[in-house]
Amino acid sequence: MENNNDMGELKSTNKKQVLLFYCVECEELARKVAAHSQLITLQSINWRSFDDGFPNLYINNAHDIRGQHVAFLASFSSPAVIFEQLSVIYSLPRLFVASFTLVLPFFPTGSFERMEEEGDVATAFTMARILSNIPISRGGPTSVVIYDIHALQERFYFGDHVLPLFETGIPLLKQRLHQLPDADKIVVAFPDDGAWKRFHKLLDHFPTVICTKVREGDKRIVRLKEGNPADCHVVIVDDLVQSGGTLIECQKVLLAHGAAKVSAYVTHGVFPKRSWERFTRKNDGSEKGFAYFWITDSCPHTVKAIENTAPFEVLSLAGSIADALQI
Amino acid sequence: MAAASNSAVKPAKKVCLFCCAETEALAQRIAAESDAIELRSIKWRTFDDGFPNLFIPNAHGIRGQHVAFLASFSSPAVIFEQLSVIYALPKLFISSFTLVLPFFPTGTSERMEDEGDVATAFTLARILSNIPTSKGGPTSLVTFDIHALQERFYFGDNILPCFESGIPLLKNRLQQLPDSDKISIAFPDDGAWKRFHKQLQHFPTIVCNKVRMGDQRIVRIKEGDAAGRHVVIVDDLVQSGGTLIECQKVLAAHGAAKISAYVTHGIFPKRSWQRFEHDNGGHPEKGLTYFWITDSCPHTVKEVKSKLPFEILSLSGSIAAALQI
Repeated sequence: MENNNDMGELKSTNKKQVLLFYCVECEELARKVAAHSQLITLQSINWRSFDDGFPNLYINNAHDIRGQHVAFLASFSSPAVIFEQLSVIYSLPRLFVASFTLVLPFFPTGSFERMEEEGDVATAFTMARILSNIPISRGGPTSVVIYDIHALQERFYFGDHVLPLFETGIPLLKQRLHQLPDADKIVVAFPDDGAWKRFHKLLDHFPTVICTKVREGDKRIVRLKEGNPADCHVVIVDDLVQSGGTLIECQKVLLAHGAAKVSAYVTHGVFPKRSWERFTRKNDGSEKGFAYFWITDSCPHTVKAIENTAPFEVLSLAGSIADALQI
Repeated sequence: MAAASNSAVKPAKKVCLFCCAETEALAQRIAAESDAIELRSIKWRTFDDGFPNLFIPNAHGIRGQHVAFLASFSSPAVIFEQLSVIYALPKLFISSFTLVLPFFPTGTSERMEDEGDVATAFTLARILSNIPTSKGGPTSLVTFDIHALQERFYFGDNILPCFESGIPLLKNRLQQLPDSDKISIAFPDDGAWKRFHKQLQHFPTIVCNKVRMGDQRIVRIKEGDAAGRHVVIVDDLVQSGGTLIECQKVLAAHGAAKISAYVTHGIFPKRSWQRFEHDNGGHPEKGLTYFWITDSCPHTVKEVKSKLPFEILSLSGSIAAALQI
């Protein structure tokens, strides 16, 4: 009786051993992912360069990965690091692995895809094209795991030789919100209609506020479109933050409409040029800052920079990635 | 009158030539070679996060035109922005697309000895093989003196590689020298001989090779005679220059009267060109008479332009001709 139950469990859970490779900047996240599951083992690559700047790469124990499920944790934080990771991504599937999964938590260049004119060059499309040409492995097309891709239509940029798996960091936020003492006073605010479209279904058990940008002459001003933040702990939710300008404008409007506290969540803390510094607590009491600023660990450079700096808190994607690797 | 109708000369096809920042000087020279080639511009900007913000002005104006892009992948950092343009141009209803990439990098590091070695040249070939087709069919890829002959087979069927060489420029230059009848060509190894001897067979040749002596590798002369000759060492590229310097020493020791060098691609990472001095009419073991490189590596060209023994042989004429294919 017991034996039969065990067999049934094994069959239904379909757990697979996964060998996880990673790029240099993702080492910390990779370790966290491996720590989540005994089924995930870290592997190593020798990342060196030739004098001319081009990569000199070596995959350790390449023979041992034959017949194994293999994954690579990538991070394209700047154009300069793309080529070396791509070389590994294009090589791994051809080493007789049982399957190949690319985990790219943050899909960059996504925010600039306002192809308004025929001369605009869609760099997100270039990136999707490059990823769509990952060679297939014995396990078929490569799975590509991406969190909160910026524009919903980008899901259609990928060709048929990859299987994009679009995940989200929102469950991590929901978990965190439930731990807060004022969990019953939380209102979710969307900085624009785009964010609302992307996230409202995942957060529909919270009251919502929607902001919008209105043109007044030369300026663009953030206004409240729907909802009431008065006396609540408002959490502004968006997929990413760059300079932070939009979030700051939203915070001002929400406070002006009576919000008790304002926090923010973005999946991807891009923060170019250290723009996260605008959000750190200034202890002169002059302005009301953000109560919490949650980001995930999709952007490793930012995570390093804001470590232990209020109001930032990092919600790790490690558990979610470990689960995605079982798909 | 009859001559005109019998003439088999095709009218030159008009080509719109785009380039990246580092190839602008070479692009201007190419456009100067022919009235049929017109320079076009691209707006290269960057977003704060470092990713490219690119715009092709007057994109409608290139519809129905033959279009080319002069690329230079001098470091991994500049690949993505150029690639974005390369992937975008063919889809703008142009009549054909040619990618001119004079130097195909990562080529030297392809000694795939172990299954763990990652072939970056193959990665680049794969990326280029996936350039979208235009109305004119597959993209043509023009490249000069690709390092390993087998790399020609790295390219898929959706791209038409056109393998050119800088050697004709060298031959032209050698014929202009006062001692052109005293010239011998030296190949630093069998690889260089395989690549180039057919194009240079009317010169006496010397072949060197590296022999292992204990821990060291020493350059020896395998075949040929250097005594009293103006020896020109020929190879496809130079990195640190170590090999060339070893060859120079051996040739001098065997009585070469003068020694020069030619490489198509002067990569010279970390300013290694500084090791090469001019002989100033003196002894060949002290310096080279000429060091010819082409303008395939724009960063090097900037640095060595007016410095003896360096002389730049421009690919502009050869590229202008290739654009007519």
